[in-house]
Amino acid sequence: MEDAVLVESLVKRFGSVNAVDGISFNVQRGEIFGILGPNGAGKTTTLEIIEGLQPPTQGSVSVLGMDIGRQGPQVKAKIGVQLQSAAYFDYLNLHEILALLGTFYPQSVRPSELLEQVDLVDQAKMRLKQLSGGQKQRFTLAASLVNSPEVVIFDEPTTGLDPLARRNIWALIREIHEGGVTIVLTTHYMEEAQNLCQRLAIMDQGRLVAVDTPSNLISRLGAAYSVKVVLANPLTEAQIAEFDEEVELVQGQVQEKNTYLLRLKNHSKSLGPVLEQIGRSGAGLEHMEITPVTLEDVFLELTGNELED
Amino acid sequence: MVALTLANLRMMSRNRQAAFWALFFPLMLVVVFGLIDINAVGPGGLWVLDQSGSPISQQIREDLEAISLLTVEGPGGSETQLREAVARGDVDYLLIIPQGIDDPSILNDPARRLPVRLLYGSANQGRNQLVDGTVRNVVARILAETPGVPYLGLVESEEVPVVQVTYFDGVLMGLIGLGIMTNSIISIAVRISTYRNSSILKRLLVTPLPIWKYFVGEVLAHLVLALIQAALILAVGVFIFGARIQGNAPGNVLGIFAIVALGSLVFLNIGFIVSAWSRTPAAASGMGNAITLPMMFFAGTFFSTAALPSVLPFVAEALPLTPMLVAMREVANAGQPLWTTWPQLAILGGWVLATGVAATRVFKFD
Repeated sequence: MEDAVLVESLVKRFGSVNAVDGISFNVQRGEIFGILGPNGAGKTTTLEIIEGLQPPTQGSVSVLGMDIGRQGPQVKAKIGVQLQSAAYFDYLNLHEILALLGTFYPQSVRPSELLEQVDLVDQAKMRLKQLSGGQKQRFTLAASLVNSPEVVIFDEPTTGLDPLARRNIWALIREIHEGGVTIVLTTHYMEEAQNLCQRLAIMDQGRLVAVDTPSNLISRLGAAYSVKVVLANPLTEAQIAEFDEEVELVQGQVQEKNTYLLRLKNHSKSLGPVLEQIGRSGAGLEHMEITPVTLEDVFLELTGNELED
Repeated sequence: MVALTLANLRMMSRNRQAAFWALFFPLMLVVVFGLIDINAVGPGGLWVLDQSGSPISQQIREDLEAISLLTVEGPGGSETQLREAVARGDVDYLLIIPQGIDDPSILNDPARRLPVRLLYGSANQGRNQLVDGTVRNVVARILAETPGVPYLGLVESEEVPVVQVTYFDGVLMGLIGLGIMTNSIISIAVRISTYRNSSILKRLLVTPLPIWKYFVGEVLAHLVLALIQAALILAVGVFIFGARIQGNAPGNVLGIFAIVALGSLVFLNIGFIVSAWSRTPAAASGMGNAITLPMMFFAGTFFSTAALPSVLPFVAEALPLTPMLVAMREVANAGQPLWTTWPQLAILGGWVLATGVAATRVFKFD
């Protein structure tokens, strides 16, 4: 069976800037595929090319085996799209908007069914502006399902939502996925990528730096824990060089003064020697955090930048 | 597409504030113009047709010129031509001073004894009475004061039936045109730029709906709105302020609506173009006003364009509102059938095509 989405050597140039700089990836049918990256990485541009909103400068995109350039309308009939911050008609209620959208497709799901799926039955006669942020987002998900699509594309589905609403949306996305729909989404939330996505593409400055499952990406680092220490005085080069080979210093100083990020390769065994060494150096330990390695560390490793700031 | 048109109409009807103000502006002008009876306040134009060429007629003319109720004009053609002008309503009063008014010998020759005649149209009854009395007094006084002239002592007055087209009848058509133009251009421009700004257009683009169907849906909904608006303004003008539509009732009224529909298409296309050039709804509204206000003045919505500086009439002729208003007035005020306005309809058709092509060229989705 062909891929749900196949992107090959895709380039999108705006003037002299390459917003998307030669990326290739595939999304298999039935998976939840995430594109993780900071704002401005080119995630939305990539999605808009897949959706047929923008032509690529170079490269090709096919969805369900159909070329988006040549078979645009056929592709659009089979996909569902939730745009980042797209509004709907102000003067129609939820039920009417879904009914109107349905008329644009060869076949459509009944509005009441969609509203039930996203738990907005009681709000059917309301206008969009009367809904809360989480309800709005659930409605836009429902609107993307109006043609019972085979592939849905969500652009930052939980941006701007509170943690509870975010978890609600995750549950909803999993539910849609269990119905047999392939899901492509973008996010800049590491937690979302790790919890929700089966495979991830990490994108930075228009390029793909890695594509793999979240657990493979993390195990690639070969480290189990990440230790952040804040010292009273900076470490000297000589002191840094003394670290055990099991300890990797990720960055000399992270953001604040005298803050060091260390990765422990050999589980917790190397923690003792590290603390001893810091004690000997006389730098003065002020604060320490130990966390399991996350995608945040993967991103930092791959791009040299922090994801969330 | 039908669903889209109906949805558009539903949205318009729910946006009550916008709908109210869209109607309010032209209706308010209808009320203003309906209340000011411009025909009654202005002086009447009196044309003196002097067949005697005598000092007496000169004297009559000079005395009449001193009366503020009248502006004395003429000479201006033969009696037949002037009589027709009265019947058309172009000439308010016609005073005919007969040959031999200063000839004493006609006193005993009833066959050559002709009266001084005053003709006026039936349009302005109140002023006619005043003018009639005044002219009789002046003529009688001058004849009585002039020695050696036979005192004829009589002025025969004659009321000529006029196809009564008032200033208000004409301006009502101007107001319908103005309402349609303003509404079509500004409403669609603001609406589309709002949709573009809030990514609604983008959301439509990710559906398989061919985008031309979306535009047809918008145009049809606005067309229905334009016809309702024209019907309301017309109804208020006719039933409340007594405007009259000439010609046979169903045919010429339908003709007005046909012209409204054609003109509305031009203005909707212009609205699409304006929306493409403006980044925000506020800019669209401003740009729409910048287009509609000059057009309102140049196209003769309220006043004749004859008073424009010499270059501007050509500019005015080229604007789409001008042929629309000319055609509407031909049909509604002159009582001509719709087909006689084919030159104006052809110009409007050309505008529909030109603006339609331009709109599809410049239109932007985001």
